[in-house]
Amino acid sequence: MPLDSKNKRSVQVLGIDAGGTMTDTFFVDADGDFVVGKAQSTPQDESIGLIESSREGLEAWGLNLSDALASLQTGVYSGTAMLNRVVQRKGLRTGLIVNAGMEDFHRMGRAIQAYLGFAYEDRIHLNTHYYDDPLVPRHLTRGVMERVDMFGTVVIPLREEGARKAARELIEQDVEGIVISFLHSYKNPTHERRVRDIVLEEVKAAGKDIPVFASVDYYPLRKETHRTNTTVLEAFAAEPSRKSLKQISAAFQEHGAKFDMRVMATHGGTISWKAKELARTIVSGPIGGVIGAKYLGETLGYSNIACTDIGGTSFDVALITQNELTIKNDPDMARLVLSLPLVAMDSVGSGAGTYIRLDPYTKAIKLGPDSAGYRVGVCWADSGVETVTISDCHVILGYLNPDNFLGGQVKLDRERAWNAMKEQVADPLGLSVEDAAAGVIELLDSDLRDYVRSMISGKGSSPSNFVCFSYGGAGPVHTYGYTQGMGFEDIIIPAWAAGFSAFGCAAADFEYRYDKSLDINIATDAADGAKADQARILQAAWDELKERVLEEFAINGYSADKVTLQPGFRMQYRGQLNDLEIESPISSAATAEDWDKLVEAFNDTYGRVYAASARSPELGYSVTGAIMRGMVPIQKPKIPHEELGPEIPPEGAKLGTRKFYRHKKWVDAQLYQMETLQPGNRITGPAIIESDATTLVVPGGFETFLDGHRLFHLKEV
Amino acid sequence: MNIQANFEGIVRGGETLKQHRDRLMEATKRTGHYAGIKTLELRDSQPILYNKLFSRLRAGVVDARETAKKIAASPIVEQEGELCFTLYNAAGDAILTSTGIIIHVGTMGAAIKYMIENDWESNPGINDKDIFCNNDNLIGNVHTCDIHTIVPLFHEGKLIGWVGGVTHVIDTGSVGPGSMSTGQVQRFGDGYQITCRKIGINDTLLRDWLHESQRSVRTTRYWMLDERTRIAGCHMIRDLVEQVIADEGIDAYMKFAYESIEHGRQGLQARIKAMTIPGKYRQVGFVDVPYEHEDVRVPSDFAKVDTIMHTPSEITIRPDATWRLDFEGSSRWGWHTYNAHAVSFTSGIWVMMTQSLIPTEMINDGAAYGTEFRLPKGTWMNPDDRRVAFSYSWHFLVSSWTSLWRGLSRSYFGRGYLEEVNAGNANTSNWLQGGGFNQFDEVHAVNSFECAANGVGASAHKDGISHAAAIWNPEGDMGDMEIWELAEPLIYLGREIKASSGGAGKYRGGCGFQSLRMVWNAKDWTMFFMGNGHISSDWGLMGGYPAASGYRFEAHDTNLKQIIADGGEIPHGGDHDPENPVWDSLIPDALIKRDKQAITTEAMFKDYDLYLNYMRGGPGFGDPLDRVPQSVADDVNGGYLIERFANSVYGVKLVKGEDGLFGVDEAGTEARRAEIRKQRLARAVPTRDWMAKERERILAKDAGVHVQQMFAASFKLGPRFEESFRKFWDLPADWQLQEADLPIPSYGREYSMDISELPDVRTVKFVDE
Repeated sequence: MPLDSKNKRSVQVLGIDAGGTMTDTFFVDADGDFVVGKAQSTPQDESIGLIESSREGLEAWGLNLSDALASLQTGVYSGTAMLNRVVQRKGLRTGLIVNAGMEDFHRMGRAIQAYLGFAYEDRIHLNTHYYDDPLVPRHLTRGVMERVDMFGTVVIPLREEGARKAARELIEQDVEGIVISFLHSYKNPTHERRVRDIVLEEVKAAGKDIPVFASVDYYPLRKETHRTNTTVLEAFAAEPSRKSLKQISAAFQEHGAKFDMRVMATHGGTISWKAKELARTIVSGPIGGVIGAKYLGETLGYSNIACTDIGGTSFDVALITQNELTIKNDPDMARLVLSLPLVAMDSVGSGAGTYIRLDPYTKAIKLGPDSAGYRVGVCWADSGVETVTISDCHVILGYLNPDNFLGGQVKLDRERAWNAMKEQVADPLGLSVEDAAAGVIELLDSDLRDYVRSMISGKGSSPSNFVCFSYGGAGPVHTYGYTQGMGFEDIIIPAWAAGFSAFGCAAADFEYRYDKSLDINIATDAADGAKADQARILQAAWDELKERVLEEFAINGYSADKVTLQPGFRMQYRGQLNDLEIESPISSAATAEDWDKLVEAFNDTYGRVYAASARSPELGYSVTGAIMRGMVPIQKPKIPHEELGPEIPPEGAKLGTRKFYRHKKWVDAQLYQMETLQPGNRITGPAIIESDATTLVVPGGFETFLDGHRLFHLKEV
Repeated sequence: MNIQANFEGIVRGGETLKQHRDRLMEATKRTGHYAGIKTLELRDSQPILYNKLFSRLRAGVVDARETAKKIAASPIVEQEGELCFTLYNAAGDAILTSTGIIIHVGTMGAAIKYMIENDWESNPGINDKDIFCNNDNLIGNVHTCDIHTIVPLFHEGKLIGWVGGVTHVIDTGSVGPGSMSTGQVQRFGDGYQITCRKIGINDTLLRDWLHESQRSVRTTRYWMLDERTRIAGCHMIRDLVEQVIADEGIDAYMKFAYESIEHGRQGLQARIKAMTIPGKYRQVGFVDVPYEHEDVRVPSDFAKVDTIMHTPSEITIRPDATWRLDFEGSSRWGWHTYNAHAVSFTSGIWVMMTQSLIPTEMINDGAAYGTEFRLPKGTWMNPDDRRVAFSYSWHFLVSSWTSLWRGLSRSYFGRGYLEEVNAGNANTSNWLQGGGFNQFDEVHAVNSFECAANGVGASAHKDGISHAAAIWNPEGDMGDMEIWELAEPLIYLGREIKASSGGAGKYRGGCGFQSLRMVWNAKDWTMFFMGNGHISSDWGLMGGYPAASGYRFEAHDTNLKQIIADGGEIPHGGDHDPENPVWDSLIPDALIKRDKQAITTEAMFKDYDLYLNYMRGGPGFGDPLDRVPQSVADDVNGGYLIERFANSVYGVKLVKGEDGLFGVDEAGTEARRAEIRKQRLARAVPTRDWMAKERERILAKDAGVHVQQMFAASFKLGPRFEESFRKFWDLPADWQLQEADLPIPSYGREYSMDISELPDVRTVKFVDE
């Protein structure tokens, strides 16, 4: 980069990934160049670490903070603070008002919460199951007499005095938020809203300022445990995050930033930190990569993408089909069932830090589910880790450079790893250390391969219709292994694989999404009049949700004409309990023909997702939910575009050779420095392409090509 | 094809299924190793490939279950996970399984073996893309409502294995609505029975099957979608196996399909060696069958009796870590629906073991081959009569197995595995069932599965977990109320932890919970109760108390419509202390049934009637006087313990704090506990004296008729049991206890006809009899 261009650089986009230990910032300039900043996280005031990380990143460009921030168009935050707050139960003191007689249901949870996230062995191992503390303890829960049935009919009218008493008692107990959740309120919100107003009156009368959350105002969706948990999160965990985001926003503005901070949300869009439903931002980091892949795909013309991300602890897979994300509607997080729309991302507890053990009784090889995480493995003498990990295999086999792990910050000791592997795995199995390590990698790769394959076949498709994106710190080490023989259309590793999540956050749309439960039932052979009636019910729900979406944008100063709206719906065969989310092929619904189009879209999808034999149109159809998404255009990072140079990599990129073990023999792998490679370079394996934060392994029989967008394409030759 | 083809069997390699299985069983018997496999050649020579095969197939089977269950409409399947998929080798032995109701690893295997032994190969023929269905209890199914779909796996035209899928359906068209109805006393009232029937060819269901099956049950919609769930799951697994074979080769797959079972057998043995102490462990289980009550309406006079079911058991663990379970002395099968087939009894024990003894990935039929069972023929768990009914075999299965956990837990305790100790499982009830016309004006049946979340027995270092699991499915769940209200015309007026339902102890049993339901929007509606009432079906361990037994609460003509309109007080929440009820006085005009009659048959209900669904707790561990006093206060504050028991059972003096929560009066507690200990000593008598007194009672036959009948029936079927009873109590030879002498009918005592006596039927024997 010539020196004189530095001052002209216009920094446009900021992506933030605030993890528990490190805060990454990702700046993109007008030309699509990017730089990554890193600093230690500062949980007590996140803005400190963030500013530090930004300073560090921008320094590499020779820019000072204020100058760069002033030109920024947009900034997106993602972080783990809210999730950690929930996991550690360090949220606000929250009160809960539910139906009289049902005061126990929140703490009882769903029994599924006693083993969520467990491995197979522990799911069946009863004595390992346990409940976490409820978000709201029983003594801060009150019941109010009322009942509404599943049709929304009032069975027992609301007894307002009970509500008043409940409110007073909770206010007296100094709660910092009050959540109200009645059965079937999504169907008839009158009682819940009336109680909300009563509580607000009482709060006011007490001269206090306590936020009140009626579940129907936030997540009007069936399944009370999911809905209540999610609404409680708003009070318990999201409000502190709002304060923290406000702090961050203010800190940036102090340093000259003019943009308004947005936050990555579970549905894959970004929302303002002022948004009403902030619990939607509970997990945001891992989604970033998926959004990044989607954005790259849209820009470069890939519509079906398998996103694969290997970090220290897990392997995450998400699919983008026809440029659309898959959304899961009742996901679980932090061992809680929730009713948030979440970008469907399946995780296997297998990352670079995953422990390798032999079952003492069966000698079966067990990978994880626990992991050494940032402590890497036995190969790092100071880590205190005694059980071998996947990273140890990498070091033993020559995949990783022991002297350049995280840019040399951590020195790895191959011999330590070798000895531990011999004792713990190789000798008991009667294998050489190399074969044991290679075998474990092969086992992991085949698990991951099946995992990706089953996700794709679950979509009724095959890998040949998909491009596989591989990123995350440890992703490119395994890319060849878990894609081999799958027949992907292409396999792509971005040169900025390690910072891809932050990149993705910066690339996310400004998008609100609202959902509402519906109960529209209709026979397959219903008359046109009936179909038109149902279409109108759906349209009414869309209209209601549209208002809410527009309201959110209005808070951020966007008028309705700037917002692009996309309706969707959830449909199932009548009587089923699981529905499918369908993007509506029509923008509004009014007639029988409209209805038929919705049904057709559903039947197509159903046959693909399950099996043609599972289609059951004879049962009729139910629409169980309406969805409305609204988007406004925002500034996104530009994807780099450089001219292609020669195929032969520059000599300066070569870093010597290293012994590399695969298929029962040692070979010499040519080493390259990732940053020094030029667009157009083609590298044939065995080769290893190293950068500070990631390593791309190209074994014999593979080659990779670096294109003008700084994307590596890996293929078998 | 050459001329030899006519003589070739369908199994890969050319054997017939029968030849194949015979060869394996002969080798197993001869060598003591599954299929004669003494060394795990594939595992030893290519451990990576072996592990890869295992983990790929297992992940695929688990994934198939997760995906397929989304097709179902029944909350039992979708929400409670009452389904399971299992992969078998050609001989019908399980290689690996998904989670879920894994008892069916054995029952579906038994169905495959029945087809093998009865030459389904030549008639009706077994071809690629066939679909078979089974729910026959006389072949080994647990109860009629568990429907199996079985699909053969072929490779290059030859059979290489099977995949089975099972779901628990909500109704099978038995005499009463619901999957586990009561009232019928013979198989012929148990509902629609399907015996390994070929129901589909070319992956397509036959129309005669669709028409017949869909009109044979009440809840057709559930039935159809459950079937599609099972088929879709089986086909996903079939695709997976094809893929694995394409990747790893057929030879490796075939080797794995047999070796893995021997591996499972060795795994069990290794675990037994690591966790137990050789020796004999004896224990016993009971449950009540209270059929004399007027609210149990049965068609036959001879069934209208109160009886007690009885299962003594003896576990022998040998020094070489092989083991044998003997159930000598168990009751005869009876005229009720609580009988079980030997396969479901033994498979269920296997399920229990996977929850504590062998919770590993490598669970398969190897464990079954590693366990010797003796179930005397004619007992309730190995009936010798083809008329026997099974629809709620779980009634006693859960109660007789809990004793095995108790037995093994002593062993874990002895080895220091305090975490693995489990004082026993809850009696998984009540079962809320019934039917009529629902809120959608359709013929309907209901079967609440809230009792998939009962209390769990205490371990030796912490309390049992509450409202969490069921012995038949450790992945328990009570489901969301809003989903149950979708499935049932019954609204909730309460869902609450059931105080004192878990057994007291140093570590208390997990508590169950209770749901108060009001009938709403139902027409021509009936409901009934099903669970233990007079007898605690578990025991408690090492001084721990058993869990509370069951009872019923139902209220009719409640006048609640008016009470609601008038703004009066409405019964809601839980029936906190059944001995001091509060609801009853709120509905003074109602007809209330509140008693220990926890089994009833269809009773009429209408809107505004009430029904209490009470899910049981688990037993406790250790002397309650050793419980940390503050934990007792916490239990009262948390609704896990009825206040008065803090004093009487735990000897804890509570003091109420300003915040309304209880704390502990330390000195008062110490004094109270000393007093209780003193009282215990005062009450104690030397064992010999107590035995002498009891012996007099035995000689005088000073016991209820049901107790006498229970022992008489056990003596008749279990001569060794009688002998040891006589020896223990030193009874004279002329002391005789015979059913014929008792003043109640004992039909079935002398005459029985086994299913094997039907023409052309070859039953498969799985246990010593």
